Amino acid sequence: MRTGVIGLILPPTFSFLEMMWRICPALAVGCTVVALVPPASPTPLLLAQLSGELGPFPGILNVISGPVSLVPVLASQPGIQKVAFCGALEEGRALRRSLAGECAELGLALGTESLLLLTDTADIDSAVEGVVDAAWSDRGPGGLRLLIQESVWDEAMRRLQERMGRLRSGRGLDGAVDMGARGAAACDLVQRFVREAQSQGAQVFQAGDVPSERPFYPPTLVSNLPPASPCAQVEVPWPVVVASPFRTAKEALLVANGTPRGGSASVWSERLGQALELGYGLQVGTVWINAHGLRDPSVPTGGCKESGCSWHGGPDGLYEYLRPSGTPARLSCLSKNLNYDTFGLAVPSTLPAGPEIGPSPAPPYGLFVGGRFQAPGAQSSRPIQDSSGNLHGYMAEGGAKDIRGAVEAAHQAFPGWAGQSPGARASLLWALAAALERRKSTLASRLERQGVELKAAEAEVELSARRLRAWGARAQAQGHTLQVAGLRGPVLRLREPLGVLAVVCPDEWPLLAFVSLLAPALAYGNTVVMVPSAACPLLALEVCQDMATLFPAGLANVVTGDQDHLTRCLALHQDVQAMWYFGSAQGSQFVEWASAGNLKPVWASRGCLRAWDQEAEGAGPELGLRAARTKALWLPMGD
Amino acid sequence: MSAHNRGTELDLSWISKIQVNHPAVLRRAEQIQARRTVKKEWQAAWLLKAVTFIDLTTLSGDDTSSNIQRLCCKAKYPIREDLLKALNMHDKGITTAAVCVYPARVCDAVKALKAAGCNIPVASVATGFPAGQTHLKTRLEEIRLAVEDGATEIDVVINRSLVLTGQWGGSDFIKTSTGKETVNATFPVAIVMLRAIRDFFWKTGNKIGFKPAGGIRSAKDSLAWLSLVKEELGDEWLKPELFRIGASTLLSDIERQIYHHVTGRYAAYHDLPMS
Repeated sequence: MRTGVIGLILPPTFSFLEMMWRICPALAVGCTVVALVPPASPTPLLLAQLSGELGPFPGILNVISGPVSLVPVLASQPGIQKVAFCGALEEGRALRRSLAGECAELGLALGTESLLLLTDTADIDSAVEGVVDAAWSDRGPGGLRLLIQESVWDEAMRRLQERMGRLRSGRGLDGAVDMGARGAAACDLVQRFVREAQSQGAQVFQAGDVPSERPFYPPTLVSNLPPASPCAQVEVPWPVVVASPFRTAKEALLVANGTPRGGSASVWSERLGQALELGYGLQVGTVWINAHGLRDPSVPTGGCKESGCSWHGGPDGLYEYLRPSGTPARLSCLSKNLNYDTFGLAVPSTLPAGPEIGPSPAPPYGLFVGGRFQAPGAQSSRPIQDSSGNLHGYMAEGGAKDIRGAVEAAHQAFPGWAGQSPGARASLLWALAAALERRKSTLASRLERQGVELKAAEAEVELSARRLRAWGARAQAQGHTLQVAGLRGPVLRLREPLGVLAVVCPDEWPLLAFVSLLAPALAYGNTVVMVPSAACPLLALEVCQDMATLFPAGLANVVTGDQDHLTRCLALHQDVQAMWYFGSAQGSQFVEWASAGNLKPVWASRGCLRAWDQEAEGAGPELGLRAARTKALWLPMGD
Repeated sequence: MSAHNRGTELDLSWISKIQVNHPAVLRRAEQIQARRTVKKEWQAAWLLKAVTFIDLTTLSGDDTSSNIQRLCCKAKYPIREDLLKALNMHDKGITTAAVCVYPARVCDAVKALKAAGCNIPVASVATGFPAGQTHLKTRLEEIRLAVEDGATEIDVVINRSLVLTGQWGGSDFIKTSTGKETVNATFPVAIVMLRAIRDFFWKTGNKIGFKPAGGIRSAKDSLAWLSLVKEELGDEWLKPELFRIGASTLLSDIERQIYHHVTGRYAAYHDLPMS
């Protein structure tokens, strides 16, 4: 069902078409839109006129042409259910921090840089045309990082420079220009960048027939930029192309994936196998093979990493403006006096109040990291009570070091697991389901001690096993082809794993929620670091005993301890790709705030309870959608 | 004609290393037509320049000395005198680049041009035009006879069977096709040919000419061809020594465009002299 009122914040550099691509899907699913655009161009006025023409439905599209300072004002309006922000990285980060805990959801689409990978088996002249499309035309959003295979470096540079000489820049209404100007601010930015690059020792080549007045800037090719220079870290501005060499395809992937940006890329190679290998390996939202900059409203366009994880176009674009039916509208959990610096920093003491009475329990103990149980770094533990107040067991006190180790182990296991076929993943999940069933009596008795009735406990165990099997079966479903009107050739919508997924489980349903979150994450190829239910982590640790024998090491890691402290460590970790949080409202706010660090997508419950035993909430399609990310792979065909 | 192509050692690796991505070339071809539009007096100037590249051609079965004579007169005065005067270009010696006829009509063409006092070259198609499937002996004899009659340029039809078996030769110009095929001069094909010309120039220093022929009928098309050559190869190739357009009805469309530019009205066919 539709989300409600969308606040859309668009940068002034967007063309009218780009703005419509974001507004129309929102209107189509029934949301109403308030668009805020800085008045640097007449486009928002055209937009406003258009919305005025929607006579029968006044108010569904509202346009505010105002300065950037209005952004936080709009975002914190009480009626807005979702804020979709397109623009620069730092502003997106600041918005993420300021919107933590507010009732509006946030979708970010940041950055304008793209990547072009030129191999030695490419049609170099056509690739040069691709560079022109990407960086030196009015169609490209920003600058370009160009990676050229060493063996064709000289040829490619020569053709690029020759081609640059033929570019014409001028006012847009002159019919024979390739590119126009983007405003004084953009001109300043690129001048600073080029000056900095030159001072670092890079070679700068500029050419083309360009007027010498201020907002016009000539097409620029920068090479020999040292990788450690600050210019190489920051986004490449328009109209600059930064060229770097690579030796082999493997090195190309390392260099290409070695930036925090993950927007779009193109691969130029006439060898199909190599092109697909590179296309699948690039961590970006859109990959074009032997083309650049193709767009279509039915193909999802978005990014990953610091390009934000919001999408427009295609089914993913529609999901941005929808939420699962039956879920209530989000409430604000904003707590103005949450101190982000001290949340979860100190672990409250867990010294026992008095001497412990009763037989020493013998449940599993330790943290499950890297495929085996190990003692926590802090070398301490805390007791867990059962429903009648007796000692149920001890839980290890995990800390920052353990989280670090768990995330490392998960990263080590990730390539192997993501490379597994869906069938292999399914069979592992089914094996775990079978193991759970064999362990039913132990698990049921533990649940009983926590106050669950025997029948209900057994049902919970059975349901958990069923969920594992169901998600295992869903692992089979992979990407599918989209219908694109103007293209000859397929466009694939691939679903790829996110990477390392951090999950903080809710207190209730200690077994079922744990399994319901673990299964979709693993089924889609992620590796996980889980923080189980704080009330009773022992159920999760029982499952770990089976995972120790069945799963490859590091696939699933379980760290117990103080929930707030572990949440802090995971949320601030720059190498966790996504986070699911089902704890308190305050914790949700912290998680949203901290995600601004590496802009990881977060899913926080904000303190609302979730009916894990219901199909819709416990095993619904929302979990599958959030457990993977989309990549659009364009394959224009023709010989 | 520019200096003859001195030729090089045949290096087949040059050919095997070539990669052409068809969809990308198609995309570039679409862009060319949209992106370099010329208007007003610049369009008139470009059209006049395009006229100087035309190889005015007549290759029909019923060619006789009378229509050849009319053709040669048109080649000497391609645009009506008063239109050129209005543009102040009447004394610049604007003629077409050449006249292109069948070998049997070369004599008539040379005579007509001499009578008109015009020194543009006569080009002849030869070697079993258009299919090229005749004996090598007769094909060589055709060329010899055409040159004897006064032709100074020969459009040679290559032996396609040699191409398909990888036995290559060389030339001073490359032409898109005979002009008598179902598909003749299209932009994607031209882009690939022009890039090959540029590569050859970078590798050997020899400049090879380019001639698209067949299917170029409108003035707008001719402008697109000019801008394509300018973009891919540069201004040095925009000379009759290195660029020709093989066309027959193109000239009348260009003349009508020029008429419209000068007078502001659209001409009827009878307003302008036939070719």
